[in-house]
Amino acid sequence: MQVTFKVYRKDPEKDGKLSRSNYTLEVAEDATVLDSLLKIRDEIDSTLAFRGCCGRGYCGECMMRVNGSARLACTAKVPDYTKKGPEISLDPLRNVPVIKDLVFDWDAFMWNKIKAVKPWLEPEGSPVNGESLTSDAAMQDLRKVMSCFYCGMCDEGCTVLPVDFDFLGPAALTKAYRFAFDPRNKGSREQVKIVEKPKGIWDCVHCYEADEHCPRGIEPTKRIVALRDRAFNSGITHEAVARHHASFAASVKESGWLDEGRLAVESEGLTNVKGLMKLLPTAAKALVRGKAPIPYMHSKRPDADKIKKIFEKAEQEEK
Amino acid sequence: MKYAFYPGCVSRGGCPELYPSAVKVADKLGIELDELKSVGCTGAGVLPQNISDPINARTFAKAEQLGLPIMTICSTCTGVMAQANYRLKEDPNYREKVNKEFLADEGLEYKGTTEVKHLLWVLFEDYGIERLQSLIQRPLKGLKVSPFYGCYLRRPPEAITPTKELNRRKSYLDELIGILGAEMADISGKGKCCGFPILSANEENSLAMVAKHTGESKENGADFMVTPCPLCHLNLDGNQQRAEAQTGKEIDLPILHLPQFVGLALGFDPNEMNLKRHIVSTGDVESKVNMIS
Amino acid sequence: MQEFDVLVIGGGASGLRAAIAAKHAGASVGLISKVHPLRTNSAIAQGGLNAPLGKDDSPDSFAADTFLAGDELCNRDVVKEFTQEASKEVIWLERMGVPFNRDKEGRLDLRGFGSNSRNRTCYADDRTGYIVLQVLHEQFQREQIPSFEEWFVTSLAVEGGTCLGAIALGLRNGKLDSFSARSIILASGGFTRFYLPSTASLGTTGDGQSLAYEAGARLMDMEMIQFHPLVFPKKQGLLITEAALNAGAMIVNQKGESITDLKGMPRHKICLSIHHAMQNGGGSVSLDLRPIGKEKLRGYFPQTQELLRTVAGLDITKDLVPIRPLAHRPIGGIETNAAGETSVPGLFAVGECACNGLNGAGRLAGNALTEAVVFGRRAGETAAKHAAAGSKKSFPTAKVADEEKQLARIISAESSKDSLGKIHSELGHLMNEKVGLVRSGTGLQEALGQIQSLKDRYSKLRVKNPSRIYNYELTSYLELGSMLTLAEVVALAAQARAESRGAHQRADFPERDDTNWKSHTLVSFVGGSGQLQKPVAAG
Repeated sequence: MQVTFKVYRKDPEKDGKLSRSNYTLEVAEDATVLDSLLKIRDEIDSTLAFRGCCGRGYCGECMMRVNGSARLACTAKVPDYTKKGPEISLDPLRNVPVIKDLVFDWDAFMWNKIKAVKPWLEPEGSPVNGESLTSDAAMQDLRKVMSCFYCGMCDEGCTVLPVDFDFLGPAALTKAYRFAFDPRNKGSREQVKIVEKPKGIWDCVHCYEADEHCPRGIEPTKRIVALRDRAFNSGITHEAVARHHASFAASVKESGWLDEGRLAVESEGLTNVKGLMKLLPTAAKALVRGKAPIPYMHSKRPDADKIKKIFEKAEQEEK
Repeated sequence: MKYAFYPGCVSRGGCPELYPSAVKVADKLGIELDELKSVGCTGAGVLPQNISDPINARTFAKAEQLGLPIMTICSTCTGVMAQANYRLKEDPNYREKVNKEFLADEGLEYKGTTEVKHLLWVLFEDYGIERLQSLIQRPLKGLKVSPFYGCYLRRPPEAITPTKELNRRKSYLDELIGILGAEMADISGKGKCCGFPILSANEENSLAMVAKHTGESKENGADFMVTPCPLCHLNLDGNQQRAEAQTGKEIDLPILHLPQFVGLALGFDPNEMNLKRHIVSTGDVESKVNMIS
Repeated sequence: MQEFDVLVIGGGASGLRAAIAAKHAGASVGLISKVHPLRTNSAIAQGGLNAPLGKDDSPDSFAADTFLAGDELCNRDVVKEFTQEASKEVIWLERMGVPFNRDKEGRLDLRGFGSNSRNRTCYADDRTGYIVLQVLHEQFQREQIPSFEEWFVTSLAVEGGTCLGAIALGLRNGKLDSFSARSIILASGGFTRFYLPSTASLGTTGDGQSLAYEAGARLMDMEMIQFHPLVFPKKQGLLITEAALNAGAMIVNQKGESITDLKGMPRHKICLSIHHAMQNGGGSVSLDLRPIGKEKLRGYFPQTQELLRTVAGLDITKDLVPIRPLAHRPIGGIETNAAGETSVPGLFAVGECACNGLNGAGRLAGNALTEAVVFGRRAGETAAKHAAAGSKKSFPTAKVADEEKQLARIISAESSKDSLGKIHSELGHLMNEKVGLVRSGTGLQEALGQIQSLKDRYSKLRVKNPSRIYNYELTSYLELGSMLTLAEVVALAAQARAESRGAHQRADFPERDDTNWKSHTLVSFVGGSGQLQKPVAAG
């Protein structure tokens, strides 16, 4: 079948000049996008730069956008993309710095962020004593998380990265989960602290885009939520977040529901004059419109004591 | 149509315009609401699961006692509850554990039969669009509206859109805009995050998201944005002016709650929908709406 | 210029293990890899890694199984060291974080695999290779070893017969740089990309073997190439772990009849059975995974399930999977001793690019990953010791300028009707046909002639792309050069071995000849072409 590929070009040797190249060629009925790119490079334009490695869907290297959606080129079957017409557009992923054509900067996009979470185990015991004894259930969860083949789709779909490229992102944070939740890791506490720093787990908006994008069902967002929950239960080290969470928990524990006025004030910190001043303009407007819940003037719901009991029981269990 | 009504915390706290407008609209539509008064906050994704799951299980058990499905008016409430419900339904052992340790004391037990639906879903799935259309008194012709769902109403898939059919939940708001007579000013961020959850952790990013979505909406010619989530509203409306200050770009886009939007089409007066409470002035919208009649 | 005590070329399992070991032994280490370590072929290894950990097991039993699979060609001392060190290495991996499957007592679960007479294969679902690779990479990063990823080694620097380092092209910055080292460890993987189809990845082109060969090292047992019996025959074949057979999967012919019980057979025997079934009017052959049962398939073979679905559109709980034996991993490679030393001072080799006599004429299923870590560690330690003992020799920097000139010579804008792809395609086809599972004297002679004419065509080709940044035409050109070089060596060695043993099957010499051929073939690069050396006795 004859197909035209419209490919994104960027030339770093010409000041990063952008363009698009169109290549029309015959491809086999069962050809993949990667097969086609290899043919283009061999027969039409050998300057086209793209990555390809295993060619069969397990190494994660050939990620690109095919007709706008991120996927592996080596498993993207050409006939699936030519149903509406014999043209396929190829672009690098979103949210990534591009080096040349379809070759983007994996280091900036992912590898460096993974390095930043201190991605290694500090073993508890010594190999001299044989293998560590542990249940398969814990190992099974880790195997699931380690089935991640660094395809970057979670990062590509992330809501925060387009706004803040320095956010560590779901891939790196899931890697942190792998260490924080490995019962054999002496340094698991430290792992949580590392990702509590700015640009880490507290910068995640838990929108679950990552879960929707992950092709292996690893559920990166849930892993980030698990890290957050663990931080909550062992003591949040990020100051502003700690204040916010403590205030939220306190008002629900005492009254059964949220005292937003109290939350706004306590999140900034009762002695944080600068922070509190920042709230004034909005608070003033809200007050005038009858929209401002007055902090601490907050009624208890019926059965608030039952909600409090749940807190107490759960807190006891955590110990 | 009767529901165990769960209005959430913000609809009577930071967004007190939401609760009364929702109640009025439900009444007009003939949806009976039996409000769950003695239940707790869902946790909103802030409280960890070991605390929020029991609190939500309790809410589900109370609704189960009434034999009614739960209706919410907040995307975050819906999402958090749907996820908790999914966990409690999927794993009977887990549900048993939660029942035994947290609910049994009160003599409560969650059997796993409660459904949780946002008003938006109720309209499409239970109430019926034809029925809604028959009650429209003021089709909002000439108004351009951007949808903003709130993440919790769209993901994660196993809790929100577990079947091919329910995948349609991702476009209900788009469809509703047309049904109510208005034109959609689509935005790429309609299913993305408004930034509210990271307000304390990273205010800069939070406001950047507000600027991004409302800015895009304004550029696409919207008269206002509609959202089914009061937490999104708090950021998109409440912090819009701070977002303007951060980016140095004017936005001035009014944000409406879903029930207010439906209410206007049903014939309610803007004042009856408490539009004057918003931070970003809804004056232009009100004038336009008043001119349609 | 970069300077290290130990330079590792290749970022897969054996390279990472060697780098970590060299660092622990006190050396300064640098690693070069043409792709990121997590993209290397170690990831495709699925079944597991062997260790004699079971109560009913022992290094002796392990050794016996290894010898049997190797069809009596293994070197005894190497096997002994291997079987004695295996458990230690696997436990080390577990402690460093590999989440192996566990039994009910919480110990490492050991499963049956291939022709192992005992259950001795540790595994992590059916992604063992990938997970082990990740843990090795994690520990590699912990050691803070400088890693030059997406650097392509263009030559080894050899002066006075000693290897002094390497010259490499950085794909990202387009610069040629020199890497000076006292010990250079090649851990660059296999070469089966010159079989089309095969289970090789795009870059499995034998660069390391070719570099070592041209630097004066000898290539041993190159005719021994392991074919994997269960491969879904796409151009980049998708293999299914033999553990599936142990778990109950069946191989059936076109009529649906099961081919004789293949469970527990050495790989080459399974390949031959399938090959004969296909030849004898059986047509296509398929793998029936359904007897394993839906739950077990989901639990123990998730990767297999996923890849066959995304790549082949097959549901292994319902469909049969068409399979064919395809070229998989070389057993032969750069000749080394157990410590990883080649015949070139300063040059070491380990893993799939090397041949130390462990596998003989056939690799026992589950030995490859264990081999990578056992000998990876050994080579790293040896290399570190060598670097500490040796005196510093200055890097012949003039070679970099020479290399620049060489590269400039192959770049030219002139167009040609011929292409790298065409030559590669023809090579891949001829190798499968004439240097495949079963060979013959006439076929091999024809193959040598055809390879020569492909080499002539190759010498006339030029690289049209003048860019230095991510110039994959240039790297493909160099890779094809390696493949042509090695294809000739394989054909030569296959022609020399006039017997059938393990992975090497001759239709004209169908019997094993222990009198004349219980030895290893050796090929050297002399005067611009491959020359057979006197075979060395095995044992």
